[in-house]
Amino acid sequence: MPKWLTSIFSILFLLPSSTPAKDFKVGLLTPGPVSDKGWNAGAYEGLLAIETRLGAKISHVQVKTPAEHEEHFRSYADEGYSLVFGHGFEFQDAARRVGADFPETVFITTSGNTVTQNVGAMVFELEEATYILGFLAGKMSASGVVGMVGGVEIPSVESTFIAFEAGAKAGNSGIRALRTYTGSWEDTALARDATLAQISQGADFIFHNANEGGPGVFQAVSENRSKNVFAFGSNKDQNAEAPDVILASAVIDLPGAFVQLAERVKSGSYKPGVTRFGLASGVISVALNPNLSGRIPDPLRAEMEDLKGRIVSGKLKVPRGNF
Amino acid sequence: MEPFEIFLQSGVRIATPLLLAALGELLAEKAGLINIGIEGKLLAGAFAAFVVAASTGSLWAGVLAAMLAGLALAVLFGVFCIALRNDQIVTGAALNFLALGGTGMGYQLLYGQTGSAATVAPFAEWNLFSLENIPLVGPALFSQTILTYLAIWIALLFAFLHTRTRLGFHLAAVGEHPRAADAAGIPVNGVRWCAILIEGLLGGLAGASLSLSLSNTFNEGMSNGRGFIALAIVIFGRWNPLGVLGGALFFGAATALQLLLQASNIVWLSANYPYLQMLPYLLTLLVLAAALGTSRSPRAIGQHYHRE
Repeated sequence: MPKWLTSIFSILFLLPSSTPAKDFKVGLLTPGPVSDKGWNAGAYEGLLAIETRLGAKISHVQVKTPAEHEEHFRSYADEGYSLVFGHGFEFQDAARRVGADFPETVFITTSGNTVTQNVGAMVFELEEATYILGFLAGKMSASGVVGMVGGVEIPSVESTFIAFEAGAKAGNSGIRALRTYTGSWEDTALARDATLAQISQGADFIFHNANEGGPGVFQAVSENRSKNVFAFGSNKDQNAEAPDVILASAVIDLPGAFVQLAERVKSGSYKPGVTRFGLASGVISVALNPNLSGRIPDPLRAEMEDLKGRIVSGKLKVPRGNF
Repeated sequence: MEPFEIFLQSGVRIATPLLLAALGELLAEKAGLINIGIEGKLLAGAFAAFVVAASTGSLWAGVLAAMLAGLALAVLFGVFCIALRNDQIVTGAALNFLALGGTGMGYQLLYGQTGSAATVAPFAEWNLFSLENIPLVGPALFSQTILTYLAIWIALLFAFLHTRTRLGFHLAAVGEHPRAADAAGIPVNGVRWCAILIEGLLGGLAGASLSLSLSNTFNEGMSNGRGFIALAIVIFGRWNPLGVLGGALFFGAATALQLLLQASNIVWLSANYPYLQMLPYLLTLLVLAAALGTSRSPRAIGQHYHRE
């Protein structure tokens, strides 16, 4: 039986006998399907890495509503899980409530700022990478218009847009930055039409943070390749998804971050707090597409490296949303 | 192309799956069946179309697979609601869940748990007789994929059958007054079976347009509520094929308009984008409210028919 099926069964039937109490057990709640090739897929890969690298027993559930967040946090804690991840900003309230009832379990939300005795958050400073992408777009845009396509407007996504726009303005103070939210993480077709609308308004560099809207953005940009329109990938290295048009990706090494925190929880050295991962940690990076990197002039590349150095050393504070 | 032409083209494109799905639902409702499971047919169709097109390399094989997937769900609906006389709403809802779970599981089994970035080369736009060069409406009407042209032709065909033929009359009789229809020698449940099977084919085709024409890939939940919008479009169109055509185009255009306004970078509009996202739904509600009292659903909708 495949492992994921086993984990589904173990949740359905709550099989306590199969896992003795001394095991290091790690659970994960995701807000969407882990087949999304993006945000949720990265978390699931992190969970699998925790299993192989730390020998943990793992389990995953996909949840939709806040009531489900709490219910599944509670059932994991009840079964003696040592660590449960809630993969998103929206899991904080449930983590706080359930955390108070189960002090033995550590709850970590990805993004957020809720901290108690056993509840913490990990925050990805993806803004540091999207700022550099914005700068690149601002410098290279021939039309002076760049675009951003989002899924649902949540603070962590808006924040990457704020940084992208600021980066673009740093590259070219006269740049216009367009912003569209489709209102969905899954609607690929709508993201394509949203992108075509931006291109019709002159946008020639388009950054997305729309999860499964991403393929729609890449499709729209590919259709306009002859007009020298380019796209950027987000959250994962998506350069290979449309190698002719994706200039670079803003990458979060989700598996790396998940394993780092799980290691600390396992060894007992984890102190609940907000753990920040930025360019300096190596968890966040800018991945240039080798296929297109010849398009970026050498002096511009040097400027990007310089920006990166100033961000890592703390000399440059990247603008971001307040959350 | 000018931005305005791109906007109109986008509106007609967005209308395509809505139109196909709503035409199918129109047929079913005319025959006295209400099937809220169209969303599931869209998803199943999109999934089957993508998987088959990606593995065989033939888009038309994908379209055929999508229609068969829609048909399979329609057979289930027919068995439960026509033959076994179960509740139509509950069955439709159950079929939605079946499709959502089934396509999700199938996708993960075929493409790995964390998905893959597999895509197909989708249907390309067909330019008809250089008419796409007509200003303003050219690209919208004459530079679309074949599935869009097909959807519009099916709407016109339905309009003809609806008003000009005995077939349309029989259908209306079955949905309005099945007992009288039966007395007149019309096989009530036979007509209902035909209607639901055709609805399945059209729902599957709508799904194929989503993954092979409007986009080039499949992902879980990509139908994003279009099946429910199709239900509203049937009411919007007052159970008339041309009304449904108008309703689908109206909703498509409203959606394209909100995308254009968001991309227009007019500051006060961009800052209020949640209202823009609401626009298509709000406009639809307004038209529905205006249509209140002037139209009504087929009388026997949702009711089983059996001879005593």
